[in-house]
Amino acid sequence: MSGLEELHRLGTTAPATTQDPAPADGLTTGLAAVEPRLAEGTDPAPGPSVRRGVAGSGSPGGVDPFSVPPSCGDAAESVPARRGAAGSGSPGGVDPSPVPPACGDAAESVPARRGAAGSGSPRGVDPSPVPPACGGAAESVPARRGAAGSGSPGGVDPSSRSPARGGAVDPVKALMHRHRDLCERAVDPLEIAAGLEAHGLTDRAAARFRHRDVFSLAEEMYARVPRDGERPPPSPAPADALRESWAWAAPALLPGVLCTAAVIAFRLTDGRLRLAAAALGALAVALGLRAALARGALRAPARHSPAATRAWTCWLLVYALLGDGLLRAALDGGPHGPWPPATAPLLGLALACAPAIWCARLFAAGARRRLAASRGLTEFTSSVTPLLLAVVALFVCALAALLTLCAAVLHQGAGYAGAGALGTLLLLARLLTAYGHSRAPAVVLGAATAAEATALATAFAGRLPGCGFLATPVRALADAFGTNAVPALVCAPAALALLIHATRTLTRASAHARPPGSP
Amino acid sequence: MRIGLLTEGGYPYVSGDARLWCDRLVRGLRQHEFEIYALSRTERQEAEGWIPLPPQVARVRTAPLWTAGDDGSIQGRRARRRFTETYAELAAVISTARQPGAPQDAPETDGPEADRFGSALYALAELARDTGGLIGALRSEAAVRALEQACRAPRALQAVRTVRVSELLRTAAHLERALRPLSLDWYEDDGLGSVDLCHATAGGTAALPGLLARHFTGIPLLVTEYGVQLRAHYLGTSHETPPAVRALLASFHRLLAAEVYHRAACVTPGNTHARRWQERCGADRDKLRTVYPGMEASRFTEVGEATDRVDPRTLVWVGRVEPAKDLICLLHAFAEIRKEEPRTRLRIVGAPAGAEGTAYLGQCRTLAAQLFPDEADGVHEIGDNPVSFEEIGGPEAPDLPDAYAAGAVVVLSSVVEGFPISLVEAMFCGRATVSTDVGAVVEVIGGTGLVVPPRNPRALAEACLALLRDPERRERLGAAARARALELFTVEQNVAAFHDLYLEIVSHSPVRRVLVDRTGEPLPFGAPAEAHLPGRWTEPRLPRGRPRWAWEPGEATPTVRATGFQEAVPAAKGA
Repeated sequence: MSGLEELHRLGTTAPATTQDPAPADGLTTGLAAVEPRLAEGTDPAPGPSVRRGVAGSGSPGGVDPFSVPPSCGDAAESVPARRGAAGSGSPGGVDPSPVPPACGDAAESVPARRGAAGSGSPRGVDPSPVPPACGGAAESVPARRGAAGSGSPGGVDPSSRSPARGGAVDPVKALMHRHRDLCERAVDPLEIAAGLEAHGLTDRAAARFRHRDVFSLAEEMYARVPRDGERPPPSPAPADALRESWAWAAPALLPGVLCTAAVIAFRLTDGRLRLAAAALGALAVALGLRAALARGALRAPARHSPAATRAWTCWLLVYALLGDGLLRAALDGGPHGPWPPATAPLLGLALACAPAIWCARLFAAGARRRLAASRGLTEFTSSVTPLLLAVVALFVCALAALLTLCAAVLHQGAGYAGAGALGTLLLLARLLTAYGHSRAPAVVLGAATAAEATALATAFAGRLPGCGFLATPVRALADAFGTNAVPALVCAPAALALLIHATRTLTRASAHARPPGSP
Repeated sequence: MRIGLLTEGGYPYVSGDARLWCDRLVRGLRQHEFEIYALSRTERQEAEGWIPLPPQVARVRTAPLWTAGDDGSIQGRRARRRFTETYAELAAVISTARQPGAPQDAPETDGPEADRFGSALYALAELARDTGGLIGALRSEAAVRALEQACRAPRALQAVRTVRVSELLRTAAHLERALRPLSLDWYEDDGLGSVDLCHATAGGTAALPGLLARHFTGIPLLVTEYGVQLRAHYLGTSHETPPAVRALLASFHRLLAAEVYHRAACVTPGNTHARRWQERCGADRDKLRTVYPGMEASRFTEVGEATDRVDPRTLVWVGRVEPAKDLICLLHAFAEIRKEEPRTRLRIVGAPAGAEGTAYLGQCRTLAAQLFPDEADGVHEIGDNPVSFEEIGGPEAPDLPDAYAAGAVVVLSSVVEGFPISLVEAMFCGRATVSTDVGAVVEVIGGTGLVVPPRNPRALAEACLALLRDPERRERLGAAARARALELFTVEQNVAAFHDLYLEIVSHSPVRRVLVDRTGEPLPFGAPAEAHLPGRWTEPRLPRGRPRWAWEPGEATPTVRATGFQEAVPAAKGA
């Protein structure tokens, strides 16, 4: 190829990108071709640096209108000079003075070629006649190729010129295309600036886009991103963590199974052995209950399960087992020997642990779904309230069914009112505790315990001389509705109070910020 | 003097960020007394314990950021109303904050509107001090409701207008975590109230205790940022975070950064890049003072002063292997070099960083094997690859200085870089360097090495060739680089810079404390005038305080409520 042809080719406004063995990605080269500069001279002003970039690029057609011939000559000179003396090192001897020309020239000369190849200067291409000062640069290119390019893939083949020049007309647009995701999700220009810098874009590279620094480039990009105000649809809620683990299911059945075993043992044994079976059964059921509530949706936060709540719960359960019989005996002047415990309600309550945990999970999952879907706090509250009531109603139904079953199997009275109210009360108390509201359950359970204890105490106190009036209300109640009316009358208002409290606290969005039971 | 060092996930913890720097600072300034106030980021960090502390650390107080400790709701209707109003104000500022323009475009506007964020923040802090903590309140329904109202307000940012409930909850939880320092009991007279200067080792949440100490007691604040916290927040936010949450949090952190820069007596960025960000976020240029990080230079002395160990045909790359280092580009450049100088060797020294780094290292090894077949000197020799991958501690490079010592030219080929530590080490070793123009490279190298554009193997190759062929130039550049590094990047300069800054800040804004006697009455002229002079307090000389006749017989030493003058006052009595 003759030098003339070479000159002619370079003179066109479309220099061949195939000179460069690197991928002819217009944008990559545009970014990579940092304008030549002294290593120390970090002049961010776009004017001189861009100008020098064009001059150094040796593309005679692409003379920036700002370019001043002398400086153009400067930069252009360094290229052939260095090239010519390739074997003997660089001409500008290294001098560790503040302005080291040698460092600069190494830094300069190299992107120079890149600039020529990658059509680095995107704007202000002026196809004016070749100024004489740039002649050197134009000559240098064939010289370079003669020296180094014999085996390189930079063979000059006019047919393989890349037509991908159009993108460089608006380099910012190309940059935006490249960082599409970043631009679309950025909430302010600084985020774009941070992202661009993380991709290695510096202020000097921003000068290629005619910007003072990355910040102003990012501002332009932010301003140019089309924002039609349409929000993308909310991403589907992350797979519910509660749904995945079924580890709660086996422990949830544990209290019911253990209680069934205890009741069978109790029924089959006699005398002292029966006492041992009862004690062992009670211990087993307590441990099972503990295991069931240690995980799943009814798990209490670490510091939110006060001992008082546990004590009151135990008392209420013991009353459900023995209280009715004791009260009847007390009113009849007894107790005369042991009375039969009401195992059916207790067995029903133990079996109801599984539906209770399941209902709590249902509530948590439903609240989570509504949390993702709601647009406002009021909307959330109004949609969760029915859910809470429905979940409680579901549990009451399940409890009633289990009580009926137990009563039928054990041939005992079911005690629907007392056991049902107690079960609902315990569920609500535990639910509130799991969501971090432990004070109200403790108070309400304590009040219920006190009321039941008072009923028993008055029944006994009525037998004292002159104190018969004390037992009158309890006796009237027991005679009219049976002894089971006492726990029902105590637990039902307590459960109602907790239900009202729960509809106020558990329907708030802030209660569901974290999964239940987390500390 | 007494320095309160504020860190977040940092210094005294074994796995903390920037602990080396803090440790050197504390050990280097043994004439001062340090109190460390550390926020720990994770449970694991807390469990791993502290590094050994020098005796000048008088006290360490820590607080976790990772637990969601619950201090219950605020007691009292008036306090609750106060909280709701204050938080609503804060939320309103956050949800309407516009992007600040370039600093010169936005003239300082003084007025009630100008500092709404600051006043809301301090009002919350005062409330927290009165009520004993706001952790529960900041996560309560009242807080979420206030946020919702602020987002629905007419002037709110566009991105937050359609905010959903789950996003509000996330934002409230994040704000609670960021505002955790408000609920700490660090600001009393036995805590940050007694120090003379707060030195925050990072911006953002770490500097918040300093802001509050400045608000409550008037203690000057010095903020050092080696990486800008706001930028880290932008980069660290997950892509899955909804836009409304990101907009609100970005707005909060931007306002917090601006407030920190505005209130700080001095801000010290670690390099120009950090400085630009700080200026962008509203830092006053007069307050900015770049303090380069210091590095231990002594271990490189031997290598740096002995140039005879240089193998003139070896290029060395040292660092952690990860994709941002662009070793692929280096290998391509080396292929170009080999065409011109066939006997050149390349040593890549470094361990992979994480799983990604390991995969990348494997990729690089494969590429090296493809590009450069093994070769031998003669037909009877065993061949070897011109590119070797080594790790520090191996037989070839037992020590970091040895790794640098082996090479004639040290190459840095990163596409993304913050402060290039390996470049500084190479400078200490007196090696000529070729680096890519990323991050703070140009600022560090300052003309004592060659710089080429990133992602440009041919440019890298030509610069390396230029140095390989010119030993004299190499030597000159190496000597200059070493001189520059010894001047700018040693631990000594870092410590000395902070020492000067401490004295300067304290002399410009001394903390005026009121001395009280036993009955709590203020004691006029209780502090000798010398107590206000910087730099003399801890020296053994006796300041001339009140003359002895001025003491009433039997009068006890005045109790110092704030213990800042504890050296001065007993000395005055003895004089």
